[in-house]
Amino acid sequence: MTPESLYCSDVEILLAEYVDGTLTSEAKQALESHLSSCAECRELAEDAAAAVAFLSRTAALEAPPELVTRILFQVPSVKPSLTRRLFGRILGEWLEPVLQPRLVMGMGAAALSFFMLQPQVRQLTPSDLDPVKVWTFAENRVNRVWERGVKSYENIRLVYEIQTRLNEWQQEAPEAQSQGPSVEAPQQDFK
Amino acid sequence: MAAIATVAQVTTPGPAAAWASERRRPVLDQDIQLIERCLGGEEAAWEDLVKIHTRRVYAICCRFTSSDQEAQDLTQDVFLRVFRSLKSFRAGEGSFTVWLARLTRNLLIDHYRRSKLERATDSIEEQLPMIEDTRAMSARADGMLAGREASEVLQGALRKLSPELRETVILRDLEELEYREIAQVLNVPEGTVKSRLNRGRAELARILRKQKVAI
Repeated sequence: MTPESLYCSDVEILLAEYVDGTLTSEAKQALESHLSSCAECRELAEDAAAAVAFLSRTAALEAPPELVTRILFQVPSVKPSLTRRLFGRILGEWLEPVLQPRLVMGMGAAALSFFMLQPQVRQLTPSDLDPVKVWTFAENRVNRVWERGVKSYENIRLVYEIQTRLNEWQQEAPEAQSQGPSVEAPQQDFK
Repeated sequence: MAAIATVAQVTTPGPAAAWASERRRPVLDQDIQLIERCLGGEEAAWEDLVKIHTRRVYAICCRFTSSDQEAQDLTQDVFLRVFRSLKSFRAGEGSFTVWLARLTRNLLIDHYRRSKLERATDSIEEQLPMIEDTRAMSARADGMLAGREASEVLQGALRKLSPELRETVILRDLEELEYREIAQVLNVPEGTVKSRLNRGRAELARILRKQKVAI
């Protein structure tokens, strides 16, 4: 490589290695020859070299010691989970989200409450399936539900008030008819 | 010729780069072993993997965002993502360092897009004249900065670089990744990496000079 054969565009590629000190002696010689004749490339080389010199004088950054602890704390364990160990890799991978400790505990608590609160149920006998008995039981049940519904409806305050008002109006109506038209009713004509 | 001499002074550590790549080989093997143990469910291996790589991820994030808190949050997010997608890492397709840097970059891009509005406000504030800054500049002009002080100045200067140039300079000059690795991380040809690096370095030098920092 002769100095004449080197263009400024070649310098851009060679310069980084030249500043790093990894350029072959032949290329280095060619580059230095070009730099001695080209002010622009020389300025670029000087600046790059100065920056590298400055960068080499700067202190290396150290990570705060607590950062490693924080990273290790935030990442879950790399050990295979109990689910994977019990059910194998493939099945364990499927079951892992379902068998999370929180979910399992929640399901356990729900099951326990259900068993504690369940009503005492008598064992069924063939005589319980007699159609008459079944019909009587169903009728009683329906009547009881109906009566309970009616009672609840009548006990509602709003319904009670409406019914009272309707009764009052019904009582007032015959009296009004005997007295003539009401004074509050609009006049049809002045004439 | 004096200018070439200045450049040559910086370019002397030739064998160092080759030695660095040789030195990285056992690290690669160590990473692969750790990942295999992690996937086997070994807790200690995950701890080691986090301990080894936290510094690099944090440094990339901190240099890119210029904020310690944001860098810490991003580092946490990166490792959460690493944990979830560790199975998708293929040792034959590149080193873990490259894979991790690519993952970090993806999160940084997301963060950059999200914080667009905040940056717009910041840039307006930066344009206002600041008395404290000029005082700091005169103090800097006295001598060459090094160590932590230089690191702080660099932080401010990096913010002024475009994200493309910034990430290239960070990966090469601060995290010492090879050109091939940077090309894999950024998904661009090696020539583009070198070109961006030259422009990034030169731009950085100009910014530092503008701040009257002796370089």
